[in-house]
Amino acid sequence: MAPRIDHYDWSGGREMLLRFGPDTGPAVVAALPLFEEANRTRTFVVALLRALAARGIAGLLPDVPGQNESVTPLTGLTLPRMAAALAVVAPDRRTYALGIRSGALLDHATPHRGRWHFSPQTGEALLRDLHRTWRAAGNTGDRDGMLRSDMVEVAGNHLPSTLLSSLPAAPCVADRVVRLASDPAKADRRIDAAPLWHRAEPGTDPVLVQQLADDIAEWVTACEA
Amino acid sequence: MLPEGYQNVESTVRAVLADVLGLSAERVAAFEPATPLFGALPELDSMAVAGVLTEIEDRLGILIEDDEVDGDMLETFGALTEFAAGKALV
Repeated sequence: MAPRIDHYDWSGGREMLLRFGPDTGPAVVAALPLFEEANRTRTFVVALLRALAARGIAGLLPDVPGQNESVTPLTGLTLPRMAAALAVVAPDRRTYALGIRSGALLDHATPHRGRWHFSPQTGEALLRDLHRTWRAAGNTGDRDGMLRSDMVEVAGNHLPSTLLSSLPAAPCVADRVVRLASDPAKADRRIDAAPLWHRAEPGTDPVLVQQLADDIAEWVTACEA
Repeated sequence: MLPEGYQNVESTVRAVLADVLGLSAERVAAFEPATPLFGALPELDSMAVAGVLTEIEDRLGILIEDDEVDGDMLETFGALTEFAAGKALV
């Protein structure tokens, strides 16, 4: 079944929301990674939410303010403000967070029943990545030098330094963590697959989608029992 | 003979290039120390370099400082492996 296009209202405006699966029962609220990695993982996450819907589990994919179709300007946004916006996506339902990469930094303001993260990236690591990409575009300077401008362009995104500076302090806490087999960081489960978020050419991975959908469905069912 | 650790680093670098650049297993299996990378692989542009370095860092548990990144370390498969091994095998 096709996802339904809906919206949610937060204190800073109205954002798009995709709904998958049943309108009642527990819902998984997905958060894509911030900035460039969102483009590389969106198809994959939409496929994952469709696969969860096929397993009877509802999924919600809200636009984070300032990302995807959102017209909210990034100026004035910080990570805590983005996380606070997601807290009003589904206040009346039992929800579970599904955080992909730096999307894992966006669920702490919501009273979820549980948090499931896939290859979570800390705010510190994200800032390091952004600085490296900024340097790869021909800029010179250390991280402090990059943050000295009010607005920093990284891979086509114009990011206010106040937003970038808010990244390292973001909490990244999960009840279950799944990572790629190639990633030695701490995890509850490892799956052998390639990192879609670092792919030079964006793609998806239908086998990985099914494996993760099974894992999330079992986890949600166990949490609900 | 190269130490076992060096071969692990080499296979990690090979796997990163396959995963990030979307190269086939056969293609990366044929990489030799003298195989040219930056400037020779169209897939390896400056954005992809950032992804390659971050993946190598994560998989080997190392940190690569920005002032260490230069054209020489990315020139060949052997140079990139040497650089990563110099960081990982200490």
